Amino acid sequence: MDFTIKQCVAWGGGLTTIQDWQSYAQGEISLSDAQELPPLKQIPAMQRRRLSPFAKLALHCALSAADECITTVPSVFASRHGDLIKTNKLINDVAAKEDLSPTLFGLSVHNAVGGLFSIYTGNKAPLTAISAGEDTFFTAIIDALCKLSANEYSQVLVVFTEILVPEIYKKYVAQDEVAIACALLLAPAGQGDEVYSLTLQANEDHQQIENKRMQVLDFLNFYYSNSKQVNVKSKRHSWQLNRAVS
Amino acid sequence: MNNLSEEVKQLIIETLDLEDIEPADIDDEDALFVDGLGLDSIDALELGVAIKKAYEVKIDNNSDDSKKHFYSVKTLCEFIAASRT
Repeated sequence: MDFTIKQCVAWGGGLTTIQDWQSYAQGEISLSDAQELPPLKQIPAMQRRRLSPFAKLALHCALSAADECITTVPSVFASRHGDLIKTNKLINDVAAKEDLSPTLFGLSVHNAVGGLFSIYTGNKAPLTAISAGEDTFFTAIIDALCKLSANEYSQVLVVFTEILVPEIYKKYVAQDEVAIACALLLAPAGQGDEVYSLTLQANEDHQQIENKRMQVLDFLNFYYSNSKQVNVKSKRHSWQLNRAVS
Repeated sequence: MNNLSEEVKQLIIETLDLEDIEPADIDDEDALFVDGLGLDSIDALELGVAIKKAYEVKIDNNSDDSKKHFYSVKTLCEFIAASRT
């Protein structure tokens, strides 16, 4: 299905502005370990206090990208590991037979950030929360395209977020992790728009190891470049994203 | 009682991640929930767990008594002091 990208907002690895990401795509700057978080001053302090670094990254990008349709846009919130720091703390408390924190429990579920977005904006449109291994980013786009197509929505918001997994899980992660969020506002392509299409095939190579680079970075590197096409292989899939002007 | 009140205020601030609020900003007699400090029902649960852990007191969820105990810092301190003896 053809679509266009009306907004793209990303924050992570020390890069926070469109100029930063353009320079990144040109190879002029690279990612750093900077852990600077968006201030989110627009959210009242009493609501903001419950936002973890994960939630702050996600909400900053979601609120900026959703723009004028913020109260009506359907959304897809995607993360491979979710806010695992919270889950990890809960599991430790269970093991230590401590009482669990109700707030931590409520905000540790995979759709928690989508819920916070909905509460803050008053947006009651359908919202999904997905996770799909190393293919999470592109799978979120597929989910959004299905929503666009099936429901004839005028746009769908995709919010991808990842933070570094807690130390105890590090050995299970093959990817170079970056704490990052990226929100895209997708819409059916119209006259004069940049037209994107995304295809996937089963990966015949049976690649044994995961890609070192996160898909979201493959995407941003492509989006802010002049390339017409990018191919990304994962263990299971071969993705191709194309760009043209209608 | 004054020491306990300071302790409870500190506990409230730390447990509920109240940014930019000092113990001195909380009045002993003011309502903690809704109108006063502006805490909500999730805070009530969270605070219940924290008080239980810190002072080893038993709290009945949702009973009218607990609502009275959790009204202000003053009522909370009275409840903790009474439960300890």
